[in-house]
Order: sequence, then C-alpha cells, then structure tokens
Amino acid sequence: MAEIQDPIGFELFKNSLFSIADEMALTICRTTYSGVLRDNMDFSTAFADADGKLVAQGLTLPGHLGSIPTALDVVVERFGDDTHPGDVFILNDPFDGGMHLPDIFIFQPIFAGGERIAYAATICHHADVGGRVPGSNASDSTEIYQEGLRIPPLKLYDRGRSNEAIWAFVERNVRIPIQVFGDLRAQLAACKIAERQFLELVEAYGIETSRTYMQEVINYAERLTRAAVAELPDGEVTFEDWIDDDGIELDRPIRLFCRIEKKGDRMMVDWTGTSDQVRGAINNTLSFTKAASYTAIRSVLPQGIPNNEGVFRVIEVTAPSGTIANGVLPAACAARGLTGFRMVDCAFGALAMMLPDRVCAASDGGNTCITIGGYDAERRPFICVDFTAGTWGGRPWADGLQGNSNMFANMASQSAEVMEAEQPVEILAYEFVQDRAGPGKFRGGAPYRRDIRLDEAEAVLQIRSDRKKIRPYGLYGGRPGQPSANVLNPHRNAQALESKVTTTMFRGDVIRHEWAGGGGWGDPLERDPAQVLRDVRNEYVSAGSARDDYGVVVDPATWTVDEAATGALRASLRSGRGAASPPPVAWTDDWTGDGAPGPAAEAAD
Amino acid sequence: MDRYRVGVDIGGTFTDIVFLDSGGRVHIRKVSSSVEDYAQAIARGLEQVFDETSLAGPDVAEVRHGTTVASNAILENKGALTGLITTRGFRDVLELRNLRMPRLYDLAWEKPAELVERYLRVEVEERINSRGEVVRPLAREAAEAAVDRLVAQGVEAIAVCLLNSFENPAHERLLKEVLAERAPHLVSCISYEVLPEVKEYERTSTTVVNAYVMPTVARYLESLRGELEAASVSAPVMLMQSNGGLTTVADAIRLPCNIIESGPAGGVVGAQALARRVGLPDVITLDMGGTTAKASLVEGGEFTRSLEYSVGGGIMQGSRLLTGSGYLIKVPAIDLAEVGAGGGSIVRVDAGGSMQCGPESAGAVPGPVCYDQGGEDPTITDANVILGYINPSHLVGGELKLNAERGRAVFEERVARPLGLELAHAAYGAHQIAASNMIRAIRSVSSERGRDPRRYAMFAFGGNGPLFAATMAAALHMKRILVPPAPGLFSAFGLLYADVEHHYSRTFRRVLAEADPAEIDRAWRALEDEGRAQLAREGFPAERMRFRRTANLHYKGQIYELNVAAPPPPANGSVDRAWLDRLAEAYGEEHERTYGHRAGPEEPVELVNMVLVAEGLPDAPVVPDTLHLDRPEEEPGGSRSAYFGPEAGWTKTPVVRRSDLAGGAAGPLIVEEYDATCLVPPGARASLDDYGSIVIDL
Repeated sequence: MAEIQDPIGFELFKNSLFSIADEMALTICRTTYSGVLRDNMDFSTAFADADGKLVAQGLTLPGHLGSIPTALDVVVERFGDDTHPGDVFILNDPFDGGMHLPDIFIFQPIFAGGERIAYAATICHHADVGGRVPGSNASDSTEIYQEGLRIPPLKLYDRGRSNEAIWAFVERNVRIPIQVFGDLRAQLAACKIAERQFLELVEAYGIETSRTYMQEVINYAERLTRAAVAELPDGEVTFEDWIDDDGIELDRPIRLFCRIEKKGDRMMVDWTGTSDQVRGAINNTLSFTKAASYTAIRSVLPQGIPNNEGVFRVIEVTAPSGTIANGVLPAACAARGLTGFRMVDCAFGALAMMLPDRVCAASDGGNTCITIGGYDAERRPFICVDFTAGTWGGRPWADGLQGNSNMFANMASQSAEVMEAEQPVEILAYEFVQDRAGPGKFRGGAPYRRDIRLDEAEAVLQIRSDRKKIRPYGLYGGRPGQPSANVLNPHRNAQALESKVTTTMFRGDVIRHEWAGGGGWGDPLERDPAQVLRDVRNEYVSAGSARDDYGVVVDPATWTVDEAATGALRASLRSGRGAASPPPVAWTDDWTGDGAPGPAAEAAD
Repeated sequence: MDRYRVGVDIGGTFTDIVFLDSGGRVHIRKVSSSVEDYAQAIARGLEQVFDETSLAGPDVAEVRHGTTVASNAILENKGALTGLITTRGFRDVLELRNLRMPRLYDLAWEKPAELVERYLRVEVEERINSRGEVVRPLAREAAEAAVDRLVAQGVEAIAVCLLNSFENPAHERLLKEVLAERAPHLVSCISYEVLPEVKEYERTSTTVVNAYVMPTVARYLESLRGELEAASVSAPVMLMQSNGGLTTVADAIRLPCNIIESGPAGGVVGAQALARRVGLPDVITLDMGGTTAKASLVEGGEFTRSLEYSVGGGIMQGSRLLTGSGYLIKVPAIDLAEVGAGGGSIVRVDAGGSMQCGPESAGAVPGPVCYDQGGEDPTITDANVILGYINPSHLVGGELKLNAERGRAVFEERVARPLGLELAHAAYGAHQIAASNMIRAIRSVSSERGRDPRRYAMFAFGGNGPLFAATMAAALHMKRILVPPAPGLFSAFGLLYADVEHHYSRTFRRVLAEADPAEIDRAWRALEDEGRAQLAREGFPAERMRFRRTANLHYKGQIYELNVAAPPPPANGSVDRAWLDRLAEAYGEEHERTYGHRAGPEEPVELVNMVLVAEGLPDAPVVPDTLHLDRPEEEPGGSRSAYFGPEAGWTKTPVVRRSDLAGGAAGPLIVEEYDATCLVPPGARASLDDYGSIVIDL
C-alpha cells in the first residue's frame, strides 16, 4: 500500500506545500477590493509542478477545481521554453484556457538552480471587466464579444519588466480600474509569497527531492481517491434535469444529461446528451464542467483527499464540444456559473441512483446573481453585485441545510449595512420564506428572499437565476421545492420577471428575489411529527402545510401534536394515494407521476 | 506578613492556582476541576494552599481569574433561553449568518444550532438608513408588543439588534426603556451598547452571545463570591478578558462577551511581560496541552489582537480560510491560532500510506495508551515515552503512573509495522509531524501576516510546550526558546502580570483625506470619556490612566481592515490634518508589511472603526523580578536513553532539575519538573535567566 520512501519527510513536505497554497489565498482574501473576492471567496490559489500539473490547491472555491490545469496547460504549451525568471502570465479568454471573462488567471513560474521547477497560480473573479453590462456577468449576452475584455495568454511581466500595454488596455476597458488593479496586485503578491516560501522549502529539501515529493503528493492523492472509489458499487447510472431556459428563448428548457460509470477504481462522467450550446451566456467551458463533476464526486468520497492532479487521474470527465457543457466560439459564457451549479445537482442526481443513502435532493439551484449598476449624479460609476445561494435539498439522514452556501461555491453573503453604506441601495428584507421547502421525511432547506430598493435615479438591473419553471427535485418520495421568483415592486404594481433578465430600475423601485426551496427526501408522511411541530412553531411551515403535506395536526394554543388526529389524517392521506409507490425522482406534486417534465412538458409556474 | 495576589485558571481537567507575594514567594497548586460548579474547586484549592502554608483568607489581597465558564455555556448549550428583537425583514440575520461553511465537499455538515430559535426572534416595524436618518419611526406600542410577546414565551434574556443602530441608536434606546419598564426582571442587551459597529450579522451575533451567557456568568461569579467568603477571602476579584486586560466583576457581568476567551489569555499576558523584562520584545508563544496547541505573536512588547473570532467552532487545522463554524463574536481578543495537536493526539496511518497525527484526540479519558486507562489508540504522548523524552514510569511528580510497555506494543502494531519503519523512527516521525502541524498555527500568526518567525524567540509553556519547542524552533530557524517557571501552570501565573484594560470602538466611516479633523477628534474624545469614567469607577486616579488610540482602516473599496496604532497626537493634543495624513501613511506601511504591497498615494484610505484602549496602570509592578518557588524540585533522575532521529540515534541523556541549568549546560538534556518536561536536543545549550526561565539556544 505504502509507496512513499520516507513517509515522514513526505508528510512534512506536503504540510508545507498546502500551507503555501492557503497562505496565497489568505493574501488575496485580506487585501481584495471586491466583495466578490472577500465575501464570495470567488478565487483560488494553487501550486503546480514544472509541467503545470496541479499539486496543491488552496481551500477556496470548488468551482475552480480543474480550471487551473486547463489554463496552465495552455501557457506551458504556448510559451514552453520561452519562460524565464521574472515572467508573469495573464489570461482570461475562455476559448484559450480561461473560464469566463471576469476570471483572470495570473501564473508565475518559479525557478531554482536555473531550471523551472514549479508554477504559482491564482484565479480571481474581478468585479468588472467591461462589456455591455456592469459586472460583466450578463446572462443575456449572445456572443463573447459583448462580454468584456478578452485577454489571450500573455506575459504581464517579461523577465521582471512590466508590460505596460496590457495594463493600459485593461485600464481603458473596465469600469472601475482601481478595483481591478487592486485585485491584480493582490494576485501578484500571492504569487510572490508562494515563490519565496517554496524556495525556502527547496533549500531545505534540495531540488531533486522537492521534485520527487511534488510527484508523490499527486500520487498520494491518486491512491487515496482510487481506494475510496474502489469501495463504491460498480455500475452505470444516468440522470437528466433541465435548466429553465437560456434567457433568450424562454420556451425552451435546456437538457442536462449525466452518465456516471464506476468500474473498479475508476469513474467516468459523461455529459453526452446534454443540449447544444445556447445563445444566452450560460455556456460552460469543459474545464468548468470538470469542476462541477469533481465537486459532486468528491462529496461522496471521504474527507481529507488533497485537491490535485491525482484526483483528476481517477475521474474522467467528457462532454462533446458544441454543447452547453463544452462551448465553442462565439458562445457567450459570462453567466455560466448557473450551468455549473445545475450540473452539480444533476451529477448528484445520478449519484443518488448509485448511492441512495449518501446523497441529498436538489438544492435551490445555486447562486442567483443580482447586479445593479449605473452612474450617480456626478457620473461616478457604481456596481452592486450580490450573489448567494443558501439552501440544500433534504438528505437521507437529515433536513437540507438552510442559510448555508452551496457545495459548489462556499460563498458568504454581504452585509446589508455595508451594501447600504457603499451603494445607493436599501435592503428591505433578508429573511426565510414560509412553505417553500420541499416536504419530505427530511425536508429541503427553507429558501430566503432579498428585497433591494434603488436609491439612485436609474440603474441597469441584471438577474441571473433559475429553478423558476423546473423545480428542485425531491428524492425517494420527497417532494420538489417551490420555484424561485423575481418580482419588481412587490408592494405596488407587482410585476413578475423572468429568471434571467436585464432591465432598467428607477429610484424607489424594489426588486425581490426569492430563491427556490430545496427538494425533500423521503415520504413526508414519515416525518417525525415533533419536527413538523417545531417547523410550524418557527414558521418555516404553516399549519396548513403541516396538515396537507405532512398529515400532522398541530394545536397552536399548546404547541402540541394532536396524536389521534394525526394518525387518522396520515392513514387517510396514504389510502388516497393508492397502491402505487412514488418514482425515485419528483419534479412535480403528483405523487405517482414519473415526475420528469421533459422538454415538451408543461413548465410548472 | 506580606499579602498575596492569587492567579486562578480553570481548565476542563485541572484548576491551577498560583500565590505570589511582593517578595516573589510563589506557591502553586493543581486540583481537579469541579465541572458542576467550577467555583468549588477554587475554594478547595485555596484551602489546600492555606493548609500547606499556614496562610489564611485575609492574606489574599486580590484574586485574578481566567475562566472558561462563558465559553462552556456556549459549547454545552447551557445559556439562557434568549429572545431577539430585530428590524422588520431581518428576523433571520442570526440564522442566515454569512452563509459560509467551514468544510468543503462535506454533505454531512451541520450548522451550529442558532442560540435563539426562530419563534423567539421578533420583528418591529422601524427603519434607520445608513446615514442614521429615521426612515420609519418605531412606535412605542410596537416596541411594547414585541417585548410582551417575548416575555410571554418565558425568555430569561432579551437581545436587541436593529439595522444601522450604530449610526443612530434612538430606536434601540426606546426598546431599552420599554424593556426596563415591562421586563425589569430580565437580562437585556442592546447592540449599540455591546458593539456599536457596522455589519448586522457580527453585531447581532455578538449581542446575542452576550445575552445568552449573561445569567450563567452572573450566577457563577455570585457562587465564586460565596465560596471565597466561606474561605474567608474577601479580596476583590478581577477577571481576565479575551483582550488580555483585566476587568471587574461588575463589568464582566454586564459584558460577558469580553471574557469568552479568558482562559488562554493569561499565558500570553505572562509571556509578554516576562519576555519584555529580559529584553525580548518579539516572541511567538506556544501553549501546548493535551488536546490543542495555541500560538500567538508578541511584537514590540505588545500582543496582537484579532478583531473577531468564533467560539465553539471546533479546531481549525491551522487554516483561517474556512470560516463559518461556531458563534461569531466581534470583540478584540488576543490573536490565537489553534490546532488540534496535543499529547493526546492520535497517530494513525491513512489509506494513502501517510502518517497522520490528530486532530482526533484520546483526550483526558481514556487518554494515551501508556496511561493504562483503556486507551486503545497510539498517541503523541506514547511516542514521547518511546523516544525516552518523557519519564517512562510516572508523571505529575509521581501522581500518574505509566505503562510504557503497552504504549510501545500498540505503537509498533498500529504505526511502525504498517509503515515498515523501526519503532523509534516511527515515534520520532510522529513527534516531527505533530510539530509540523503546530507550525501551521505559528505560521498563521507570523508569516501569514508578513512576520518572519526567524526574527522571534519562542516562548513555550503548557504541559507539552517545552517538549516540542526545540523541534519546532529548529524547523522554523528560530534561534532561542524561553521556558518560564511553572510552565504547566503558566496560564494561571500569567494572570498576575495583567493590567486593567478596556476597549471601546465605534464605526466612523470617513475617507481620511476628506475628513474633518475636529469631528474625528471629538468622536475619539467621547470614547476616551467613557474609558475615563470606567477607570475612575474602578478606583484609578488620573495619573494612572493611559489611553491609546488605534484605528481599523482600509483603502476605500477594500473589504477587510487592518488595525493600526494611531501615531502620537500633535503637540496641542488635538487631531489635525497632518496627523490624519500620518495615520494614512501608517496604514500604507502596515499594509506593505503584512501583505507585501501597498497602493499608490492616489488611493484614499478610509477609517472604518475607531478604537480606544483605556489602561489602568498599577502603582508598582505587581510581579517582582526574582521568584522563589516553594515546591521542592524532584530528585535528579540520573540519565536515560533518548532517540534524536536516525542520524543521532539513541543517546544517553542526563535528566536534570531546572536549578542544575544555572551555570549553563549542553544538550541533550531532559529537565523534569512537577508540571512539565522540557527537552534540550543535542547541539543546543540551556541556561537560566535572572527570572528563572530556561533559555535554550539552538
């Protein structure tokens, strides 16, 4: 089993290497100018070997797993031996190693004894990289050319000399250059710190041992992953789910199809069968599809496996090019985060077919991104970007989490008070919404809503959300969560908006977004009545829903369950269902329906 | 006879007591903690010291106390049934937290249960905007209805946190009035009085934690008073705060959120004071016990503080990236990084063939295999016995007998054999890996903040700190280690070095270049007045009050702030334009130092929170330079064979007493004491300084 020659020296080296990746991440986190980075942790740091193979990734954004190797591959291939001490590389082009334009990669090669021995790597989501909509996040762009500044793989520093042309282009093409520059500086500082610390490590261990140990760290992760995968049952499972639409063609749901094959100590995730790429800006790069696939599979493997190339060797991910899972020029992709979140849930669905007692029902669908941007009376730009998700589906052993970030993106919400102090908005509500979670033996998490009022004359409002038509699925008898909603001015002339929308807001307008509720797991009639009582008392669930969905009769005067009435009600609800058992997956309230809405089915709304 | 000051530190397993008189005479005592009522163990310990020394209650001049009673109330969910009043629309701030979780890829993660359940969170119709303007007034009837509703639910404590109250507390004050009228028997906490700072989750959480532990802390301190009186001790009690300063009982009852991390603070305060006396202004402290190790940074003779922390968050594996565990409290606290590494940490081989140490711990029960109390998993202490570092027959002056053979057998079977290593080599590896885990804690307070650990001395204490200090210092290229007297009770001992200190802060967002100096001056002076009044209540005359200003600043647009000491005031004492410029420059320097880069002069620096530190200075140094420990040292143990790695191999190592080091001695050496064992490796030199600390030079 053990293939490491000196297990102690190796463990010490590995500890140091992962601290470097984490220390890089802390540097970015603490110096950033943008809430997207600090609160949403939408960045990653990593350490790769001389060939650009990932050795250690900091504990940051799962959505970036797999992104750095792809980008580094391009740099290593393009520049190869034309890589020198003092060089720093930059890129963001999704069709040349990148993910989507706001994600800017910075790589610094590290040299010792005259040869390249490693790369320090960072990727940060910048608050704005130009393009037609503030925040560069619009979901309704239809070509990459509308989305902002495309930076091909270039040297930002050439043997230590700054390439001023690149800085000048960036400065002229982004809305708030001071922010972009501040965050680029943070990325450069993180790479410098990695270089300094890694060279200390090389000094202590020697160049050859350091090289060997870097490969060993990869092999070690591979062994752990293989051992864990080998314990899963062999077989093949599939799952399909749909994204509401691409924001352009509103009547066309977009199919996601995932096939997972597990054989021995290997896994294959194949997205063949997923819809062709779409006009709206939700097309993935293959690297992002990989990140989504790795995230789902890692979540059913044991904790403690390092994030690196070794994991990727065991999990093979494929997606045909020209699909939404692997877009080609001129696919717009700024809002591809949406598709990534939905793919994680789709892969979880497939895993739930393989491992019924290990996987949760559908989450709220991942981050909703709300961007409100424009210019104040003195023509100074403002951009208020808020993206969060917070609701998990029910689990085979417990309720879905609520008010907790998504597995794919461990992001924080921003403080309402800070948003109000810095942006011309007032937050009117940030609270859970009753009766939106999917009922189940273990219910889905309750979703929340945010109401935001504009206090400036005019602004562009842009929302990227989903799960408005196709609801978060329930599993094994659990009911689907309620859909999401976007409402303009909910308190006066309420106007329902689509899930993906770009529109204009005026002073005093209020935009409300309600996230979708998490899907339930297991038959709600089997839920512990004491739990239902507690939910009613806490107003996550109404007394009506307790009665109709859970068959529990609650006495609000004494806060007790009426046992007799509950027993009778549950019996009658059961007999009303007939003999048929529910399908394993449910997108609708119909108990015995096969649940699958399919592209042609009526969208629930 | 001289009267004594007494330091008392309560831990989960032991309560440590240290007596000190002005002549430097010291009595120490370790007794088992009384978990049901911690005060009882204190009284018992005091009486044991009285019995041994012929001292009596009236000989005690002051009791200084570090306690985990507040954090335990949170960890064990034993605080008050608490209600919360919030602004309409913000009922769920406490439960939504900031959404982040401390684990990645973990489907089994559960959030900590919120301290106030949703049905006890009540909204009121009101709104103040970010400029402090009342947008929607709070009607008195609405305030009354909210209070009445919570009273009807039977709550014991009520917290109030309204949006933007730090800009304008009018509505919170109205609620305070209503609470005093309609619920005078209940504990109540107003966010403006607890933490007048921006960020609603941080403020709500801190206010709720304060309310939640308030009755528990009050009951405990009453019980302590009773126990002390029963032992005829009528001396005043001062409590250690998380920030490293002392406060009064009355203040601790009002703001218990300040004493949550009271326990570990004492050791750091003592380390700072002792290091300062020997002319070492820059030290890194290492406090290692049975389950965790904690590191902190003392720089320029001052300890560093974090602006917020989580209580009950479990142990972070050295990483501060994954926040979201535990209960957030935004009060200044000595900045401690903690990792799950201690004598009880379990050693195992993972599926990838790598050796792991901790964070799982065998704890005090069943403990390491060699304790022979049912422990089945090999631990770090077992490794240290195999290596000959720890006396193989007994610990704690003979009170704890060891079964070294059993420890060896289990370590061989579970660790050495699966790795194909010789037993000693495997045990040595475990020792090294535990050290490397603790190094992550040291890095997080030093290199992660731009501080190079090589420039610092290590100050090691706790039962296991002196055993690991040399290994860690060598790996970090640190040159010098200090091990204070009574290292195993140093958290209690350190309490004796503390001064009275209070921190006041408020959010005051201004871009420095555009700010009105007079306005800033007024605001800071208002905080100073608060501090002066508090110190006066505690009996300090004006000449023994000291005030320091610090500020949390950032480049406008940055999210995170750095705390920077404000430059000395101008000659006339009032803030002026030039002073604000110096403050901005101080931020730029600190940013560069911490993160390796700074912005150009065109980027405006913004003040976010102003902070005032009010210190009450003692009239004379509390701790004399020379100390006499009254506990007789153990008999010198001759020598034993100890293992120092594959190259040095097994080496005959003298076992000595601390006093044997007076003339200096060369390693390898093992210093055995009542409360700890100190390891001096081959090649290092050990001596004693004038204050009785062991000095190890690598």
